Amino acid sequence: MLEYRAYEQIESYLSNDMPADEKAAFEVLLRTDARLAEQVREHRQLLQTMRSFGQRQSLKLQLDRIHSEMEDETAVATPALWKVFWNRHAQTVAVAASVSLLSVFGTLWSVQQLKAPVRQQTARYVELRREVERLKKTQTAIINGINDATKPAPRPAAFSGTGFAINADGYLVTSSHVVEGADSVLIENEAGQKYKVVEVYRDQIHDLSILKVSDSAFTTFGKLPYTFKTAESDLGEKVYTLGYPREDIVFGEGSLSSASGFEGDTTAYQISIPLNPGNSGGPLLDDKGNLIGVISGKQAGQEGAAFAIKSAYLLQMINELPQTDTLAAIALTLPQKNALSGQNRPQQLKKLKDYVFVVKVYN
Amino acid sequence: MKKSLYETDEAILEGIRRDDERALAYLYKLYFPMISHFILSNSGTDDEAKDIYQEGVIVFYEKIKGNTLELSCQIKTYLYSVCRRLWLKRLAEKGRYAVKMEDSESFLPVEEDTQHHEEQERQFGVMGESLEQLGEPCRSLLEDYYIRMQSMQVITEKYGYTNSDTAKNQKYKCLQRLKKLFFATYKPEV
Repeated sequence: MLEYRAYEQIESYLSNDMPADEKAAFEVLLRTDARLAEQVREHRQLLQTMRSFGQRQSLKLQLDRIHSEMEDETAVATPALWKVFWNRHAQTVAVAASVSLLSVFGTLWSVQQLKAPVRQQTARYVELRREVERLKKTQTAIINGINDATKPAPRPAAFSGTGFAINADGYLVTSSHVVEGADSVLIENEAGQKYKVVEVYRDQIHDLSILKVSDSAFTTFGKLPYTFKTAESDLGEKVYTLGYPREDIVFGEGSLSSASGFEGDTTAYQISIPLNPGNSGGPLLDDKGNLIGVISGKQAGQEGAAFAIKSAYLLQMINELPQTDTLAAIALTLPQKNALSGQNRPQQLKKLKDYVFVVKVYN
Repeated sequence: MKKSLYETDEAILEGIRRDDERALAYLYKLYFPMISHFILSNSGTDDEAKDIYQEGVIVFYEKIKGNTLELSCQIKTYLYSVCRRLWLKRLAEKGRYAVKMEDSESFLPVEEDTQHHEEQERQFGVMGESLEQLGEPCRSLLEDYYIRMQSMQVITEKYGYTNSDTAKNQKYKCLQRLKKLFFATYKPEV
């Protein structure tokens, strides 16, 4: 029973409902009685453990309840799982997304970069094709010329050509294919003199046309510095021409390489001057400043093969012009004095260039 | 939604201190997926995940209650660290040493907290066993008095004792037995 008494004391001491004086006495006893102190310690530990054990138990129950509650929720609400998934992998997804975005735009960008030169190349290629097409066209024109004797010379695919004066009164010669189908024709020389002209005569067979200045303001070209050669020129003779293959006047030099023209045409020379569309109708002169021909065309696809109508045929045409007042006068007013012979080339050209015109055809 | 109440860690802590069960429930549900993912990806099962997570939450909860928690990081990080530590221990007990943990979060060293928890677990294990061995009605009587804090009066009526002295006497006997059982197996670690 002593045990029980001690127990009761311990119990009331621990639960703090011991009267103050009794408590003081008990504490004194505790300090002296080691066995009692040990018992109190054990008792306290036991009670504490039991109490927190109970708390833990109830906490566990609570958590279990929450857990099963949560399981019920997630079973129904799957989006929560998605959200969890997203929360967990948002970073990875973000990295993946940015990497893929980067590679997509990087690829697009680099493709763009690669494409730029390709585009340029295509442009060049188109240019080249246009060039080829032009050549093809001239070649076709030549073939047409074989079939149709009225068009012996190929027609350069340009709406401009070259022409030169044959007397001081405003008469000029050019290739008839230059002014073919023209509504109006204008001529202009290096000095900037500009005249309106009309075609007054056409020789389809020799591809020659005579133009006349129709401007009322026109008075005279002045004295022509060159003469027309009646005889045939020799093979290998140095020849040159002036023409307008572009905006400015262009000088071209070569030699007479054959006494016959395209497909053995005896009315023309073959010359080795590099020519371009726009040179047609230009004057062909020899070293001494004699006019020996009129540039008419070239053979497409063959290097250095250009053709010029012999001056003899030009003269023949002039002489055979219909005997009307105006046209008959041309033969009489042809230049008789050569002012170029004995001069060097640049000086010849300086005198010559005022009589060589660009023929602009509008239709 | 009630959720918005506990958007911040502070709100959750405050809620738990106020004994708000919703705060605990919110916290519990918020981080369970993270721990579950961690346990599952480190050769654990669903049940083990639940177990470990609950232990982690208990450590956290009791530290808040005991006002001994100095939270220098997010609750999330703390929970993760505790659960990670507990799981490592559990793996070691199972004789399986994970060569490498697949961590999805950063973690802190929380050995102290978990050690205290383990010690308690051991204590509670012994206590549970002792109570088990004690048998009825002793167990219920002690639980009613010491845990549920019922008065001697209520207990006397509930267990049909003739007077409170008999009840007290009975309680004393029960407690003595429990004491013997408990201290027979439990030796506090020095």
